[in-house]
Parts: sequence; C-alpha cells; structure tokens
Amino acid sequence: MEQMLTWLLIVPLAGAVIGMLLKGDSAPRVWALVVSVLSASLAAGLIVGFNFNDAAAVQFPVAPAFLQLDEIGFKFSLGIDSISLWLVALTAVLMPLAIGSSWESIKLRPKEFYAWMLLLQFAMLGVFCARDLLLFYVFFELTLIPMFFIIGIWGGRDRQRAAVKFFLFTFSASVLTLAGVILLGLHAGAAGGASFDINDVVRYGQSIAPAARFWVFLALLAGFAVKVPLFPLHTWLPLAHTEAPTAGSVILAGVLLKLGTYGLMRLAIPIGMPDVVPQLAGLLGALCLIGIVYGALVAWVQTDIKKLVAYSSVSHLGFCVLGLVAMNATGVQGSVFYMINHGISTGALFLMVGMIYDRYHTREIDKLSGLAKRMPWLAFFFVLFAMSSVGLPGTNGFASEFLTILGAFTSPHLGVAYGAIAAIGIVLGAVYMLHLVQSVMFGPLKTPIHAEQGDDAATPGDLNWREIAILAPLAVVVIVLGVAPNIVLKTIEAPVAKLLLLPASTVVAAPANVERVAVGVAR
Amino acid sequence: MNQLFYALIPELILTSVACALFVFGATGIAALRRFSPWLALASLPAAAWAAAYTPVWDTPIRDSMGTLFVGGFAVYIKLITALVGILLVLVHWPTTDDADGNSCVHFGRQGPEYFGLMLLSLAGVMLVAGANDVILLFLGIELAAIPTYVMVSISRPISSAQEAAVKYFFLGAFSAALTLFGLSFLFGTTGKLGLIEIAQVLRPATGNLVQLTAWQMLAGLMVLMGLAFKMAAFPMHFYAPDVYTGAATPLTALLSYVPKAAGLVALIKVLGALFGGGNFVPPAEFVTLLWVIAVATMFVGNVLGLMQHNVKRIMACSSIAHSGYMLAGVLVAVSAGTASVRDDALEGVLFYLAAYGVMNVGVFAVLMMLPAKADPFLYEGKIPPATSAETLGEIAGSGRQHPGLGLIMAGCCFSLVGLPLTVGFFGKLFLIRPALEASMYWLVVLMVLNAAISAGYYLRIVATMFLKDPRTEAGAPEPAGQPAAELPMPLLMAGVLSVCGSLILGTLLPATTVLRNLTKEAVTFRVSAMPMQSQQEPPMVPDLPQP
Repeated sequence: MEQMLTWLLIVPLAGAVIGMLLKGDSAPRVWALVVSVLSASLAAGLIVGFNFNDAAAVQFPVAPAFLQLDEIGFKFSLGIDSISLWLVALTAVLMPLAIGSSWESIKLRPKEFYAWMLLLQFAMLGVFCARDLLLFYVFFELTLIPMFFIIGIWGGRDRQRAAVKFFLFTFSASVLTLAGVILLGLHAGAAGGASFDINDVVRYGQSIAPAARFWVFLALLAGFAVKVPLFPLHTWLPLAHTEAPTAGSVILAGVLLKLGTYGLMRLAIPIGMPDVVPQLAGLLGALCLIGIVYGALVAWVQTDIKKLVAYSSVSHLGFCVLGLVAMNATGVQGSVFYMINHGISTGALFLMVGMIYDRYHTREIDKLSGLAKRMPWLAFFFVLFAMSSVGLPGTNGFASEFLTILGAFTSPHLGVAYGAIAAIGIVLGAVYMLHLVQSVMFGPLKTPIHAEQGDDAATPGDLNWREIAILAPLAVVVIVLGVAPNIVLKTIEAPVAKLLLLPASTVVAAPANVERVAVGVAR
Repeated sequence: MNQLFYALIPELILTSVACALFVFGATGIAALRRFSPWLALASLPAAAWAAAYTPVWDTPIRDSMGTLFVGGFAVYIKLITALVGILLVLVHWPTTDDADGNSCVHFGRQGPEYFGLMLLSLAGVMLVAGANDVILLFLGIELAAIPTYVMVSISRPISSAQEAAVKYFFLGAFSAALTLFGLSFLFGTTGKLGLIEIAQVLRPATGNLVQLTAWQMLAGLMVLMGLAFKMAAFPMHFYAPDVYTGAATPLTALLSYVPKAAGLVALIKVLGALFGGGNFVPPAEFVTLLWVIAVATMFVGNVLGLMQHNVKRIMACSSIAHSGYMLAGVLVAVSAGTASVRDDALEGVLFYLAAYGVMNVGVFAVLMMLPAKADPFLYEGKIPPATSAETLGEIAGSGRQHPGLGLIMAGCCFSLVGLPLTVGFFGKLFLIRPALEASMYWLVVLMVLNAAISAGYYLRIVATMFLKDPRTEAGAPEPAGQPAAELPMPLLMAGVLSVCGSLILGTLLPATTVLRNLTKEAVTFRVSAMPMQSQQEPPMVPDLPQP
C-alpha cells in the first residue's frame, strides 16, 4: 500500500519498454490497453485507499533514499493530496479510452505509437505525483518528447510543423521556468540549505524580497502560461490539437493542458500570493477574459470541427486560470474542478471528432449535416458532451463554470466586471457549441459524396460496441459529477484552503453554500 | 622512482604506445596494422586506471622545479579524457579487410600512425591538466593540437579534407603564437614561469581586487584569444564549421572535443593563476570581456546552428555553443568572489565537460552508420570516398528505417538540448545553479534562452530522422536508403555507449553523484587553492614601460 505511487509510475514505464519487445500487429495495442487498464485500476485503488478526512495531507509518500542528490536538495519524492488524486484519476481514465480510440485508426508502426503513449502516461502521472519541484519539472519536460513524436509521426497533413511548433513553444518558455525553479531551490531548505521540496519552496518563495518574488513569479508563469495556454501565447495550440491523432488530441486537451494550470495552482499562484498576484491580477484576469471571448469567437467561425473544439479549449482554459487568479476558495476550487471537467468533456469531444473522421474522412462542418438521422447513438453522445462543454446545469461543466465566475465576482482582486465578461463567454460558448451541434447533427442529412456511393455495407454505421464502451464511462462521469459535484468539490476544500493559507473554518462554509446553489439550479 | 613518475604514468602510457604504433606503421606489416587499434584501445583504460590511482587525493604532486602540479583537477581531466578517448577510438575503428579505414575515414597504410597521433593528442590534454609551468602548459596545448592537423589531412583522400587541414593548421599556428606571446608577457612581468608562483606575485597585498598592469592585462587577453581558438569560442570560432565539415566524420567528433578540452583546461588554469584563489575579484574590464565572449559564443553558435543544412556543420555550431556554456561557467567561477560559489561553478564546468564528451560522440557515430548520397557533380557521380551521411536530406526518414539508430540520435540530441533524464540536463543545472548563486541573473536568462534556441536545430535533426519521408530520387529507387545489411559493431558500440552514458548519468542519480563527487574532489586541488608562501620575490623584470 505504501508503494502504490511507485507502482503507478512503474507500470506504464515498464509497459512501454515491454511493449517495444512484442511481435505482431495487434499485440501492442492489446498490451497497451492492458497496461493502461491496470494503471487505471491502481488509480482506483488510490481513491479507495485515500484518507479523505485528511485530504490536504500528502498521502502515499515515496522517497527512495538512493534516488537523491543531497547536495542540491533534489529528491525523488512522490505523494498526493486530493487535488493530485483527482488529476491522477483523470489521467488514468482518459488513457485507456485514448488507446481504445486508436484501436483501428493507428496502422502505421503501432508498436512505437503505444510505447510513446505509455511513456506519456508515465510522465503525466509523474507530474501530478511529484512532491519535489525539480522532479516536477523533469516530468513536466518529459511529456514533450512522447507528444512530439505522437503528433509528428501519426498526426495529420501538417504534422511536422505542428510537432516542432508544439515542442519549441513549450520548451522555450519552460526553460525560463527552470531558471526560476533552480533559483527557488537554492536556499529553500531548513537554515537556508538547498531543497526542492514543494512545500519548502512555496514557503521560501513567499518569504523572499518582493522584487525577487516578482521575477520568480514571471519565470514560473512563462512556462505554465504557454502550456495552459494563456491568451497571447496560445498560438501553438490550435495547430497541435488539429494535427495530432485523435488519441493525441484527447491527451493533449484532457491532461497536458492541465499540467500548466496545475503548475500555476501548485507553485506560481501560491508563491505570488503575498503581493505579485494581487498586483498582476487585473492584467492576468484581463488576459483570461480576452482568451475566453476571443477563443469563443474564433471557435464560432471555424469550419473544421476539430479546430472548433481546439479553440474552445483556449476559451475554457481562460475560465480555469480566471478562477485561480481570483485567489479565493470558491475560484480555486472551481478551477480545480474545471480542470477535471474540461479534461472529460473536451477529451470526449475529441474522441467523437475522431469517430466522425473515421467514418467520413472529413471534419468540415459544411460537408456534414443531419448525422443524427443515421447515427442516433453518436448524436446522443455528441449532444451530451457538447452540453457538458457548454456547462448546462445537470452536467459536470455547470458547477465548475459557475464557481470560477462566482470566484471572479467575489474576488477582491478582480470584481464584478470580470465576472460579467466571463459570463458573456459562457453565452458565446453556448453559441458556437450549439452552432456545431445544429449544423452537424441536425438538419437535412448530408455527408461527403464518396461515403454515399456504393451499397449499404459501405455506408458508415452508428457507433459500434467498442466506441460505445469508450464513450459510456465519460458519459457516466459527466452525469454523476453534474448531479453530485460534491464528490470532488468536498474533497478538495481542505487542500485548496491549505494552498491559500486560509483558516480551515472559513472555507468550509462558503463553498458549501455555493454548491448548494449550484446543485439547486441543476435540479 | 619519484612521485613525478607516478604523476605522469597516464601520459607515459599513451606516449609510449604511440611510439610503438609509429614503429608498427614503419614496418608496414599488415598484422601489426590490424593490431594497432586494439593496442590503442587497450592503452586508454590503462591510462584511465593509472590516472585514477595517482596518489594525489591528499596532497597534490609537485616537483622541485615547479614544472608539474598534479592534483585532483589533473586526475579528473586525465580520467575523462581517457574515457572519452575510448569512444573516439571506437568511431575510428577500421572495418575494411585491409584495416585501412572504415566507411567514413580512410587513412590507408597510415592506420597505426593515425591511432598513435590520436593518443598523442589525448596525452596533450593530460599534460595541460598537470602542468604548472607555462612552458609545459603551452607544450601540452600544442601536443593536443598538432597531431589533429596531421589527422585532418590524412583522414580522407579528398580535397576538402586537405583544405580543412591547411586552414586549420595556419589558423592554429597563429593562435598558438598568440598564446605563447601572451604567456611570455606573463613571464616578463612576473619573472615566474610556474602558474602558482605567478599567482603569488599577482595577489594583491591589500583588498581583494586583483590589480594587473596593462602588460598583464594584455597577456591575459592574448592567452584568452589563443585559447578561444582551441575552444572554438567567439571571436575565434569562424574556422570550426569549415574544418569540422572537411575532416572525416569520426575525426569531427575528436576535433569537437579534444582541442576544446585542452583549451578549456588551460584557460581555467591560467585564469586561476591570474585571478583565482580565495576571494579575489578580477578587474571589471576582464569580467566584461569574458562576459561578452561567453554570451557571444553561445549566441553565435546557436544562431548559426539554426541556419545550417549539413549535420556536421550543425554539430560544429553546437560545439561552439557548448563552449559558450562552459565559458559562462568559467566566467561565474572567475567573478564569483566567494570561494564556495567559485568551486560550485568550476564543478559545473568540469561536469559539463565530461557530459559533453559523452553525449557528443553518439551523434557522429549515428551519422557514420547512415549511408551517404552520391554526389551528382563531383567524384563521377559516385559517393565521395570516406564520406558519411552529412546533410539533413541524407538522414531524412532514416529513423524509420533504423529505429535503433534513430533512438541513439534522439537520445544524444535531447541530451545536448538539456532535456530531463539525460546528463545534459544535469550539466545545465550545475552550470545555472552557481550563476544564480552569484546573482548573475541576466547571464542565466541568456543561457536558458540559448538552450531554447539550440532546441530548434537539434529538434530539426530528430524531426528529419523520424518525421520526414525518406528521400527518393526522381525515377530511380533509392539503394542507399536501404538498411545496411549489418551495422559495424564498433560504431554501434560507440553510439550505444554514448547514449546509454547520457541516460544513465541523467537518470540513475547514484551515478550522477559519483561524477559530481569526482568534480568536487577535482576542484579541491586547483592551482589557485595552494597555500600562499610567505616570501615574495620581486619580479625579475619589474620595469616594463607602460603602454
């Protein structure tokens, strides 16, 4: 039980290595699925074994003595609180589904594809489990390599440019983060010694001189803001999302973007909390709002379904960061919940775009229409996830969107205007999503000509059992978290309070109320 | 046998084996020619072993004449030089029946001499590391450099190699003259030949700002420029792309490491004598000069690297850029002002030097295993003799055809970028840390920006190998693109050793700690850490006119 996190990391890593040794065409995908399901069940085991009464504490700690560099304070130390727990669960749930979605579509060099996927899972889980800042950074950077190959080899027509752009954008920004990380680690330990322990580093970061803190915050922000991505730095995202294979897009939108917000939440925001974030809150909030509105408007005019979903991510992540910048319990809780919900709904939408593309080999909105007539199941799931993405009450998206906006409203650093503009973003979100649903799923039946030729057997059918099995778990999560957001929200109260250095008593009351409102509206 | 003998065993092993190899070559016996790479290969672990067991860890070895100073620093340099030398011998390994070269290097009947020259060059680096006397220091630098001129010219029977050799020789001779001129000023103004003795003369009586006369500054400047040539640092970097491309590919691997190591080690020693030790601070002008050189070297290397289409030229630019990173570390060490930061910075530089030696060779080994393209204009439309794949076009898609080679290349390139899980990451980490400790924030920002720029061209290599389609000539099927029937074992070993070394040193922290501790012990015994002697003799030539 103590070594759960070690196993959580070893399973995908060993899976990737062993997968490379397998022979045959279908062995790699079966193996990858087995490994990812095993890792999902380990994550389930973590949820079962997690002590929710002490959710803010770091649980399942692992720190093998032989993996450390004492001199610079680097330790291979793992541990999770409830925020990490849910993000680990998100990763573990999405990965088997992404692998399932590649079942038929990845024909080129499948062995390597699944090895990179498992390596990617190793890196992502590592980010969420790391309790050492340098280790966090190591895993954070490591995600680039598998994703680079996944986009670059198995992606769409413009894959090379997308892969290189993705890598260079995120890498160039995160080297600045590295400089900040090393600076923080120099004297963070006890008695001014070197330490990279996240708690030490945050405490140290809050105690240094304001001028130094300002620059450190900017350095940290650089890497995370590109990863999120925050408004002016988002240009790599549409290309990467559109060109990546379905599984790549799912993981990219579902988990990789969350590495940025997770980093902001764990490090940048707490370190900048004493003065920098309040100073910059207006600016950061404005960038978020621009991202929300601009992303939504650009999504509206897209002609490619995948691009539309990609731009919707720019818009959605704006909400997520807005909640963090609000720096109150409501906003941050909403933001954490948003990370999970966005992972599920956008991940599901990318899965569905992939399924549509598999059938018609096009993603042009103009060329598709009325699919609901031919494929009721596909339409059902598509509408459900679109509603979740819009934030319809009763789906998971609602509570998180509501909380982040409420956070912005009530935050001393942001205020009513920010909340109001963000609310406009919700309306715009409904506009582009409904536009998409209406023109692709409803209306007269229209599909690309080549798919209509020939006999019935050649005409693409509705979802098969494999695709339903991929989508059903996400649909269940959408409904369950929509009706009972408390499952997550309640458990992240304590760590969020700890993060914001709030006394425990004040936090419990406020969000609970908010939530009752949220759930009340939902009913 | 005195201590001096023990201190020189590694150099003695290498030079005596080199002499034996020269005799082998003169006899012209084919069996001896085939045996010579084995002998060269065997001599290097022996030298490494002898270096590791030099009895210096408690007290450095010095001779009564003040010629040598062999402490942990020298031992460390000797150790890594010998170990990287093993990789370098492997990439030169003759695979033809006649033992006259392999697919990328052709030394004909001069194989034994070629390996002998290589050992002499490595011995030169070792001598530099152990020198105290500036004359021995200079001899060491030249012993490392002169064999490389010969090697460039006999490595390939084509004109571009000859051109490279001539260019390299003349510019190398010029830079050697510059170094020697600078060292002579140092002798002239202090009256001492030993670096330790020079350091004692130059130490300020009061305060911690080292004050140099104009002549001494000029000496420092000249030595710096001369050594910048060896390191391929700005403003003496311009020869590197041409010479590296002209030389045979395995020799490029050697050129990008051995002379650089000699130059860097000499620079550390000379700067140690000028400014090092205790809490001394060099004059601001000198710090500015070093700052400009380090930063310009990084930028010139990386920006030029972005513009290249030939992988060997890219690696030449990468070599320039890596000199820049190490010079930045030296700069931090020189200007730190506190002993602990200075030691940290020097450790970082030494760590980086070892890391660079490990991760650099793999790229060339992979290039050598990839087939070259026939030249449509020269060499009667055939592949030029002794030529490896060089251009990005030639390696396009090869990662798909040979996934193993692709992974070696990717591993080495990612390590050169400094991505996590490779030794390059720790290399950069140990360079950046002391710079931050010394509050040189701008330098750090420029360093990390350069790492980001360098990702552009390393990634281009990886992307070309994995993401591009294999090149297809119009019409004809591509025979060269077919997987080779059998990859040459020594090359494969060099590549695998290089990438495994990078990964192990980057992931297995105990191994990283071992290397790091070695650098620590190395820095404990530097030239400048010597205890001061009380009596200071007046300079022999005190009254030079001030310019």
